Amino acid sequence: MDRPASPEIRTFGFGERIEVFKDVGLPDAVAERFDLTHRSGTHALGHTRMATESAVTTEHSHPFSTGPDLCLVHNGSLSNHNRLRQSLRRQGIQFSTDNDTEVASGYLTWRLRQGIGLTEALEAALADLDGFYTFAVGTKDGFAILRDPIACKPAVLAETKDWVAMATEYRAIATLPDAATAEIWEPHPATVYSWRRQ
Amino acid sequence: MIEIDLARSSVRGLNERLHRLAPGTNEHYWRVLNPNGAHAIAVGITEPIHVEIKGHVGYYCAGMNAAATIVVDGHAGTGLAENIMSGLVRVNGNASQSAAASGRGGLVVVQGDASARCGISMKGVSIVVGGSAGHMSAFMGQAGTLVVCGDAGHDLGDSIYEAEIYVAGSVASLGADCVEKEMTQADIQRVAALLDRAAIATKATCFRHYGSARRLYNFHIDHAAEY
Repeated sequence: MDRPASPEIRTFGFGERIEVFKDVGLPDAVAERFDLTHRSGTHALGHTRMATESAVTTEHSHPFSTGPDLCLVHNGSLSNHNRLRQSLRRQGIQFSTDNDTEVASGYLTWRLRQGIGLTEALEAALADLDGFYTFAVGTKDGFAILRDPIACKPAVLAETKDWVAMATEYRAIATLPDAATAEIWEPHPATVYSWRRQ
Repeated sequence: MIEIDLARSSVRGLNERLHRLAPGTNEHYWRVLNPNGAHAIAVGITEPIHVEIKGHVGYYCAGMNAAATIVVDGHAGTGLAENIMSGLVRVNGNASQSAAASGRGGLVVVQGDASARCGISMKGVSIVVGGSAGHMSAFMGQAGTLVVCGDAGHDLGDSIYEAEIYVAGSVASLGADCVEKEMTQADIQRVAALLDRAAIATKATCFRHYGSARRLYNFHIDHAAEY
């Protein structure tokens, strides 16, 4: 990612298929601001942040994108992000905040640059990221889920023949069509789940 | 039967009605429709009523239950029957993390799977899981019984005090100070009685018994002089 030509301009995402919308405010108001109800696509990630480790600003909001067509949302907190950010900077990954989740996003960008797949990159993250996390990662081809080895943060998955959804709680899934008859399960800790668009 | 549709009324309104029930009430059969994953449904009931919830519930369903029978015809989120005192809570599907956490009495039945930390800090509750239980189940269990008809995840019974654990399937690993113990005739009878109450058809003789080795700090008499 190049540095912005003007300091007041921030780049939140880039690539061919993934668009990142984020802002500060009530979720309904933010969704309206970006006219999300009229957007369409094959997959989407949404996130409302309860900030614990860094400021409440648009820059610190999720999703984080540090590479083309990559975005990451995170429930939890990472404890080794400062050191990891330093070493990733030396590898050419650029960061624009002091946020821990951005480091996880940068870590995946770095791994994907090495030519490995998203599943392998997330499996490597299990060894290199220290802390609590349930991650949902979007790429141009699909999305993936990973929970930390002790499954500190909740997650639920639901699948029908038409769609698959993951959320922190079923309440967010309940409004989807045929949610009541979806197959519902809890993802296991330290296990990568991924889906590709068809 | 009293029917409450949560698509049209609030969980708070439902819980307030349940809390106002007087001893000996004749409003003893309740049905809750469209829970849609709402949190804290049917918490804090103190009368021996029957509540049937048709659908999936969110966090802390049936928390602090005393005396009531609560049946969830669906899956349950985190903290099902947390701190249950007595009565029966049954989930016909799966339960998420920390089911029956710190429960002091009563029976919690999860027909499907229970995920991580089932029965964490249990203090007297009986738990029967028809499927498998996730990692760190019965963590710091102080009293009560956990019966798992399927498999148990890693670190079963970590730092357990006096709770008893019975597992029919495999155990991924035992936690600190948790050991396999002899399955006595009394254990078989205890498991059989709980399976019977839970209406789960599994042979009590298939189970193995786990509990505390009593080697952690609190069990050392040498430390008694510290107080």
